[in-house]
Amino acid sequence: MAEVEEAVDIDGHPCVVVDQVSMRYRVPSSEDVVAGSDKRRGLMRRLSPRQAIVTVEALNALSLVVERGESVGIIGRNGSGKSTLMKLISGQLQPSSGSVLASSTPVMLGVNAALVPDLSGHQNIILGCLAMGLKRREIAARFDEIVELSGLAESIHLPMKSYSSGMASRLRFAIAASLDPEILLVDEALNTGDAEFGDRSKQRMDELRAQAGCVFLVSHNLSTIKSLCTRVIWLDRGHLIMDAAPDQAVAAYVAFTRSLSQGRMGAAGRIRGDARRKLVATQIEQRTSLRRKGRD
Amino acid sequence: MPQKKIHLPAPAAVQSVAVNTRKLSRVGARPAFLDYLVRLWDFREFIFYDARARVLNGTRRDRLGSLWLILNPVLNGLTYYVIFGLLLNTGRGIPNFVGYLVVGIFLFQLSAAAVTSGARSVHNNKSVVQAFNFPRAALVVGANLRELLKGVPMLLAMLLILVVLPPAEPITWRWILIVPAVALQFIFNLGVGLVLARIVAKVHDVTHLIPFALRVWMYGSAIFYSYDRFVTHPELLAWLKINPLFNLIDIVRSCVLYATLPAWQSWALLAAWALGAAAVGLVFFWKGEESYGRS
Repeated sequence: MAEVEEAVDIDGHPCVVVDQVSMRYRVPSSEDVVAGSDKRRGLMRRLSPRQAIVTVEALNALSLVVERGESVGIIGRNGSGKSTLMKLISGQLQPSSGSVLASSTPVMLGVNAALVPDLSGHQNIILGCLAMGLKRREIAARFDEIVELSGLAESIHLPMKSYSSGMASRLRFAIAASLDPEILLVDEALNTGDAEFGDRSKQRMDELRAQAGCVFLVSHNLSTIKSLCTRVIWLDRGHLIMDAAPDQAVAAYVAFTRSLSQGRMGAAGRIRGDARRKLVATQIEQRTSLRRKGRD
Repeated sequence: MPQKKIHLPAPAAVQSVAVNTRKLSRVGARPAFLDYLVRLWDFREFIFYDARARVLNGTRRDRLGSLWLILNPVLNGLTYYVIFGLLLNTGRGIPNFVGYLVVGIFLFQLSAAAVTSGARSVHNNKSVVQAFNFPRAALVVGANLRELLKGVPMLLAMLLILVVLPPAEPITWRWILIVPAVALQFIFNLGVGLVLARIVAKVHDVTHLIPFALRVWMYGSAIFYSYDRFVTHPELLAWLKINPLFNLIDIVRSCVLYATLPAWQSWALLAAWALGAAAVGLVFFWKGEESYGRS
């Protein structure tokens, strides 16, 4: 049983506080209902086949405090809950339990931003920026940059439904990148362009990261994570395994995945278990003011 | 892939951390009602731009383009005239039955289109809702604004028909009263749209019920028959009198067809319905703010 250690005060005001956040989905499953539990006969069963509903635990209760200046990388296998955590922090999803607190509205830089297919790229830029809360004057100032970043040139006047998926993704990224957010969330799936776009987007991301208060980055590219992040979180199957310095976390994760790919399940389980055993989980106490404790 | 429970050891310790949350707010939280209205006002540029852009692109697919905005109600009017006016002769005793019908049909279509559009606006824009953080009522206001923009040429066509087709109605100063009447109608449509939008976002099936409800509403608004028909049935007459759409149509008919000032009671009733619907709609919609976009 984990002991609760003495409370630690966080000085100043943190950027993001994740307080016992979990995500649970109830989805229909096409797995056959176990015979015998379904007592209806013949015709009834055929007319209304019962669909099993299963509960998927995308993320188990997790708490974090992220302060200004931190750059947090989130790593893990597919299905570990990385995207879910990002969506919860950005506000796109409401958690099943717990809450996410932030000092300002987080901005997710991904390829998810939805735009209107019937309208042209030009109109969608204006619409998307307005939807993010920018004023017309601000949009006019940034418009050319956005078009340049997306690399769309003349196609900007064509309706978005005529764009290829790559063009659409690049435009969405360019629109989202035009904000100067305090809290930035970057989803890995940004490799949707040629090398030229890759360079331009990396440059823009570096600018954004320099200005932002804190950044969250999800990526499978571990060298990027090591070079860009000050702190790394390792998730597996919706559980927090490790929250440590980038070198340590990435090394442990690499060892874990290597064992898995070599079929050594036991070894992998041990690596994960060791990491988990060393974890110090966080429990948040929300206060509206902190008494200064006399500490040496 | 079935979800197997994985066995993980417990963490070494749980560190309690006291955090000053004074300057933090919950992500995706619903603001207080007045703050919500202020935010809605702040997003007015988004609303206007969205409405205008979608109207301009709406009829691009059709050869006749925006002409259909007018042709549609005209054809509707023609059909009702043939069936109700000529075949069933419900227009007996109504001077200028064509004018009577035209006003009713056009105004009804304005409301029907606005209510339908508003009801679907949140459900159909789920991707925009999930991608951006803005007061969702902006979508409903935008949909209503869009229909209003489409409605302006419709109303002009309606007035043109009244002036051109015999018996030509004279243009009096009272025609200007159409503006406040349609404004009240807009507010009423918005209120209804807000209520329906939240319901449809939760239970999509309701979308299929809306056309039936609109149909019943249409039949209950004295569009192709006269109010006098129910003089012998006081209960039905009472329902007709309360119907906001009937009052609206009655007001516009008074101004345009009969060159008389509408009774203040009609105005009062319409205004009460409009403001009541808007108030109820805004509060009801705001309450569900955090639920939109959840799949």
